[in-house]
Amino acid sequence: MEGWTLLLAGFIHSITVVNLIACFIGALIGTIVGVLPGLGPTATMALMLPFTLRFPPETGLIMMAGVWFGAMYGGSTTSILVNIPGEAASVVTCIEGYQMAKKGRAGAALTVSAVGSWIAGTLGIVGLQFFAPILGNAALSFGPPEYLAFMILAFVLLSNLASEAPVKGMLMIGLGLFISSIGINPLDSVPRFTLGSNQLMLGIDFLPIAMGFFGIAEILNIAVETYVVPEVKKLRFRELYPSKSEAKRSIAPVLRGSILGFFIGLLPGPCTVISTFISYSIEKRISKRPEEFGSGAIEGVAGPESANNSAVLGSMIPLLTLGIPFAAPSAVMLAGLRMHNVEPGPLLFSTRPEIFWTFIAAMYIGNIMLLVLNLPLVGVFGKIATIRPQLLMPFIGVICLVGVYSVRNAIFDVWIMIIAGVIGYFMRSKWNFPVASFIIGVVLGPMTENSVRQTLMMFKGNMGLILHRPIAVTFLSVTMAYIAYRVMYPILIKRVKAKVTGA
Amino acid sequence: MVGKLRFNAELFFTFCLMVLGVVVLIVSIGYGFGTFRRPGPGLYPFFVALIIILFSLILLILGVRAKSGEPLFTKSGLKTFSFMVITFCLWIIMMPVFGYVIMTFAVAYAFCKIMKLEGWVKPFALSIATAVFIYLLFEVWLYIDLPRGIFGL
Repeated sequence: MEGWTLLLAGFIHSITVVNLIACFIGALIGTIVGVLPGLGPTATMALMLPFTLRFPPETGLIMMAGVWFGAMYGGSTTSILVNIPGEAASVVTCIEGYQMAKKGRAGAALTVSAVGSWIAGTLGIVGLQFFAPILGNAALSFGPPEYLAFMILAFVLLSNLASEAPVKGMLMIGLGLFISSIGINPLDSVPRFTLGSNQLMLGIDFLPIAMGFFGIAEILNIAVETYVVPEVKKLRFRELYPSKSEAKRSIAPVLRGSILGFFIGLLPGPCTVISTFISYSIEKRISKRPEEFGSGAIEGVAGPESANNSAVLGSMIPLLTLGIPFAAPSAVMLAGLRMHNVEPGPLLFSTRPEIFWTFIAAMYIGNIMLLVLNLPLVGVFGKIATIRPQLLMPFIGVICLVGVYSVRNAIFDVWIMIIAGVIGYFMRSKWNFPVASFIIGVVLGPMTENSVRQTLMMFKGNMGLILHRPIAVTFLSVTMAYIAYRVMYPILIKRVKAKVTGA
Repeated sequence: MVGKLRFNAELFFTFCLMVLGVVVLIVSIGYGFGTFRRPGPGLYPFFVALIIILFSLILLILGVRAKSGEPLFTKSGLKTFSFMVITFCLWIIMMPVFGYVIMTFAVAYAFCKIMKLEGWVKPFALSIATAVFIYLLFEVWLYIDLPRGIFGL
């Protein structure tokens, strides 16, 4: 009952002109970003961080969540209309969505995708509303050893799920942890790795690094790559109606995608992308018409598009209840909240409940806004896809420069951003290093160090005592089981294959 | 030759990370390792350095075995990349002197030309619009005081 009262209060808080405008701007920018290939939600959210500082924390959170959510909606538009995914979580939608468009069913695919996203978003918010406070309460019993064990599990899963090369993932996490240790260590006030520089005493700020790795690196990538402007077919409003059978066939995939996406959101890694792939393969496997897959099956649009939206909400749970982000966009959100002096975690629900409930209420409103924004304006967003990204990059480049400078009035931060951008360009575009793991390493660095040192002090140096903590042992067991599976699985497969060929 | 350059560049980067790990390891010992009972400021970076060294070493071993891939840059790509980075750097160096509005216009124009926007009318209009938007956003809407430079703009 208390939850509903708080939610009602959240609605009252969120229905302010500033919050509604923030929600609308976030959703609109997110949709545009989703439509345009190149800049993803992470870069955009990082880019918007300096501006959110002018508003209360909940407004900033609403705006950033709007961008992430909007990008999931917008990403499907170009996937369906021109076979170009606006962002990674819409790659799967291209397979069936574009085939449907070729058959003249683009409107139906877009409607199913938008309505599916809306249903998934709403179910995801309901899930977040109920699970987050419960898990937040449970997380109150977490001490430093539990946090440490949980972070080890998160790092291992992240390095495996965020990249094809887990070694690169672990290296990136290590590098991120190191970067976060630069500056005066708050535990014993000792300056570390500062090279005698006064600026480095304060540490390397998260924002220039995130904007460099996601913003500048992407601008450089777009500048170097050649982009072919796609042709977008005109869509009439009446073409947007799905047929009765299309609507009927979409219901179950939408519901399955919503539930699946929400739970995948709880895992470390690019949850939105993973959820779409898993949803697609499940729909294909259980479909009564598997032969239609690959030539325009509506289930292949409905399932993945719902999954990626509810995954966004699922990934908010570890962020809000534990203060641990599992994906790059939620790492940016955490950094944004910290810039507002709000530390997400179990205490958020007792110390600053208004932030959580205003956010939940605003998400309900934002989700409706996105549906209203996306369906009638699908033609306009389709047109946006025909804008050459080269036309937008000068503007985005300058926003990055001035935006980063404006936060601390520090030229040093702008240098850091450019250096991070150049390194990030090679790491992302050329060598496939998982940059998200690096960013999460940077954000979680201070928390990891605190957990390590506090655990050691608690156990008086005897780390074996961690085995007496059931929750920590559970996390460590899952970690060990996962590592064993990763190591043993290829060996077993090799042996089985050898046996089969030998026989 | 160009293919070789890509291969070596990635390997060289990984090698640099390993060297960084070794340096961090040595420096962190200097900060004071403490004991496990009372950890010092060097203990945590010491273990982080171990992670960096271990995984960069594995990557180096795997990298030496791997075959070379596609080239790092085409000739025109390298030119575009270099000009973009130089333009970013010029903004940083010259912004405090000329002010952010003028530099925003100049840099936006330079970006347009580097990204091969034809003629001068479109790039000029786009740069003016960008500079005006940046001025309105930071000065008028967000009340952020940014350097105005010698022209007071």
